[in-house]
Amino acid sequence: MAGSRRATLRNALARFAAGAPTRVFVLEGIDAPDALDVLQLRPDITFVDTPRSATVLLVAGRLPEAMHEPARRAHDAMAEPRATIWWTLAPDDGAMLPFPDATVVPAQPNGSPAAIVTLARMLARTQAELLCAARPSEPALLADVDPAPWRGVGPYGQGGAGMTGGVPYGRPLAGRAPDRDGLELDQLPVRVGPFFAPFPAGLVLDITLQGDVVQEAIVPGNAFVASGGDGSPVRVTGDAFHAALSEPVRIADLERARARHHLRWLARMLRVHGLDALGHRTLALAASLADSLPRGALGDVGALRRLLERTRGLGWATAGVGVIDPRLVTGRGLGPVARAAGLSEDARIDDAAYDQLGFAPVVQEGAGERTRHAVGDARARWRQRLGEAMQSLELAARAGDRRTGGEGRPIEGVRGRSSDVTRDSPSAMLLALLPDLLLGQEWGDAVTTIVSLDIDVREAGRAPGAAPLSPPPAPQPSGGMDGMAGMAGMAAKGDHTEHDHATGQM
Amino acid sequence: MLALGGALTVFLAGTGAWLILRWVGDALSPPGTTAPERVPYTGGYAPASHAWSRFHARYYAMALLFLAFDMEMVFMYPWAVVFVAEGMKALVEMLMFIAILVLGILYAWRERALAWS
Amino acid sequence: MSAPAGVLRVLSLAVLGVGAALLGGVYAVAVLDRVVGRAIARVPLRLIDAAVTPAREAGLLLLQRRTVTERPDAVVWALAPALLGSLAAAALVAIPLSPALALPDIRSGIVYFGAAMAMVMVAVYVHGWSANSVFPLIGAYRFVAQALSYEMPLALVLIAAALPAESLSVSDIVRSQTGAWNVVRQPLGLPLYLIAGLGLAFWGPLDFPDAADLAGGTRAELSGAPLLLWRAARSAVLVAVAAMGAAAFLGGWLGPWLPGAVWMVLKTIALLVVLLTAGHLVARVRLERFVVVAWTVLIPLALVDIFVSGLLALRGAGR
Repeated sequence: MAGSRRATLRNALARFAAGAPTRVFVLEGIDAPDALDVLQLRPDITFVDTPRSATVLLVAGRLPEAMHEPARRAHDAMAEPRATIWWTLAPDDGAMLPFPDATVVPAQPNGSPAAIVTLARMLARTQAELLCAARPSEPALLADVDPAPWRGVGPYGQGGAGMTGGVPYGRPLAGRAPDRDGLELDQLPVRVGPFFAPFPAGLVLDITLQGDVVQEAIVPGNAFVASGGDGSPVRVTGDAFHAALSEPVRIADLERARARHHLRWLARMLRVHGLDALGHRTLALAASLADSLPRGALGDVGALRRLLERTRGLGWATAGVGVIDPRLVTGRGLGPVARAAGLSEDARIDDAAYDQLGFAPVVQEGAGERTRHAVGDARARWRQRLGEAMQSLELAARAGDRRTGGEGRPIEGVRGRSSDVTRDSPSAMLLALLPDLLLGQEWGDAVTTIVSLDIDVREAGRAPGAAPLSPPPAPQPSGGMDGMAGMAGMAAKGDHTEHDHATGQM
Repeated sequence: MLALGGALTVFLAGTGAWLILRWVGDALSPPGTTAPERVPYTGGYAPASHAWSRFHARYYAMALLFLAFDMEMVFMYPWAVVFVAEGMKALVEMLMFIAILVLGILYAWRERALAWS
Repeated sequence: MSAPAGVLRVLSLAVLGVGAALLGGVYAVAVLDRVVGRAIARVPLRLIDAAVTPAREAGLLLLQRRTVTERPDAVVWALAPALLGSLAAAALVAIPLSPALALPDIRSGIVYFGAAMAMVMVAVYVHGWSANSVFPLIGAYRFVAQALSYEMPLALVLIAAALPAESLSVSDIVRSQTGAWNVVRQPLGLPLYLIAGLGLAFWGPLDFPDAADLAGGTRAELSGAPLLLWRAARSAVLVAVAAMGAAAFLGGWLGPWLPGAVWMVLKTIALLVVLLTAGHLVARVRLERFVVVAWTVLIPLALVDIFVSGLLALRGAGR
């Protein structure tokens, strides 16, 4: 009797709660549909930043082999009840998805609004069915193997019955290393994976943290590059910039796409800094630019810029963070990053069609000029992109039917110069800069730097020195238990103690 | 006395209420997790070590400064009550006290105890 | 004997009253946050949606399973949201709704409030530490740095508010504003208090422990009922901050025409709207910058505030 009454109460609560916005965690893969941000704008969907509290896992695009294991882990991290939905342009390629129970939703290449509404309703229905137990929750995908083999014997012969051999509960404790303050404190090595919400999709970093300061950041490879593949970058198909390499494209469309991209980037930047409402507003502006140029777009973006500059918050959060020496980015075609450092590099300068429109590149203050602010920091980069977005909207309004491209010349993409000749994409070059840039930065500043660089890991390909994603480093049993591990432990971690961390970074 | 007793009761009742709601959540959805569901989430890979470690709290110098100011607070609370009755003398005395402590802040600032990255 | 019965009546009224205030306050924060957010995002919003969605989200979280990590400190992890919530409730005990509806007056109300708010540091730190995961741990340690920095300005401006009242009790502070509200007499007080209050409730620009760049920080490993309780506790602290601000700077229950309790509620809601708007408009600042600014700008300004209000109080008392 009490059981059935409890069941009715639970069902009533479930029906009431099913009307809440669907909690979705997104895994972005190759060819993630562009309309993802339209989905994010819907009031009946909340994109959460950790799979723990999500109900539905939305896989957007295809996942390469190297990302299958992290994807399974993200799936298992979700709290029950949970379900997976796969939203892709190529639904027959089942090898590109590690989830056997996922519901497949084919995406339209041009993202019609009706299709988005259907997807949103399906997400909501999935959540409702899960809560009301009309649909079973998906079981865990990874094997239920406890990482703590009790009664284990350690690698140095210590331990045995009842001991864990220096590896308590299956994981070692953090090892020690000298800190630049002269203390010997612990370093936490962590591989921040491809599905970490603040990072760009697919970025993997092996970070060694001491306190909350990044001591070392390594890019262990590119998850989107298949092992055995040739490492060529994944090109985004259907992009106006890609089309402009081979045939003439309307300048209005090109500039509109550029403005849209910069606004989407700005929305990400705002979200990472805690401004969800302003990020939503920016994303709505970007979504309105998808097919045509609305009349008031320039005014709206201008109002947004005035608001951001008046409230100053984003300026405080980014001033002096992630400063890039202009000499590192000269002549490499790094687009907005270079222009934010004061270099006037833009492939559109040489274009006759842009010349007719009176184009002059937007550039922030450079190294030689008198300015209160640091040169080439994250603040310069967001102001640069916002300025470029406004300039693009203005050009798009005036361009009429003029066309550019298709002559074999490099064109200015959203991240830098791109051309037909396969060369290092801007993202690959920026990824190569990351380890030096992040050294010695506090975590929040490190994330600001990474987001401000606008890296697309999909187009990075096999950056020089990078490879397909290597497996994570095997955890060393901690040498901190000196009495037991002794010399052997120190030898195993010798590389830590030999590094000179006191390099005086401030 | 009754006031503080009421405060203690409210505190304990609040703790109880929060714990009861947690128990309700457990009753509605009992936690029974498998091992891979328990792994701390860092974006897709299992962590290499436990997070518990000797975390370098770089603001330890600022914490010492805070202790000094906390002791100043202890003196300022009763001073605030009797201040108007005591008059200008009390103001000047407290000003001298504060000036000495502000020198402490200045020292800490110059020694870069407040900036640590 | 009527004395124990009287005591019991007072205690139960305290529990019920604070409980109702906290529940209403937490729900109001959820609704107002949504309204303010949608207004800033320039998105239309139906009021009925705004009013009911927090309840639906609460139901959803109650039905979700809670996460267990590999080797947490389970007892402490369970108690931390409860500690944060009950600290907010305890802080509300010191704040009177109106002369008729107040609980027995705590004579050292401001000290008591400061003590309750100092324990918030313990609750948040322990919450991040106990999960045994990297990002909550970083959030916890960041919060300690932030907490040590906002404590001083918070306590100092409240002392400045206490000077004209010659008493540490919040009711006396409200009564001392019969002539002019403290926001007028001590113009530095309310802005400083609001900044320190944002730090105390780790909201908006000072949201370091639960930051978006830590993928949620101390709540990154939470799901289900513990997540709901943590968010509710955080909102409860914000309500306590707003209520104390209304009492100490905006004159509490003083005001014409309407009953005192209604004024108090209106002023609290006004401060909540201000705090929530700041949360939506100002980005999360850098922690180092905040610490430096707190120690070198906010504390000297708070001391100036004390000095000036002390002089005014002496002049008012004719000495």
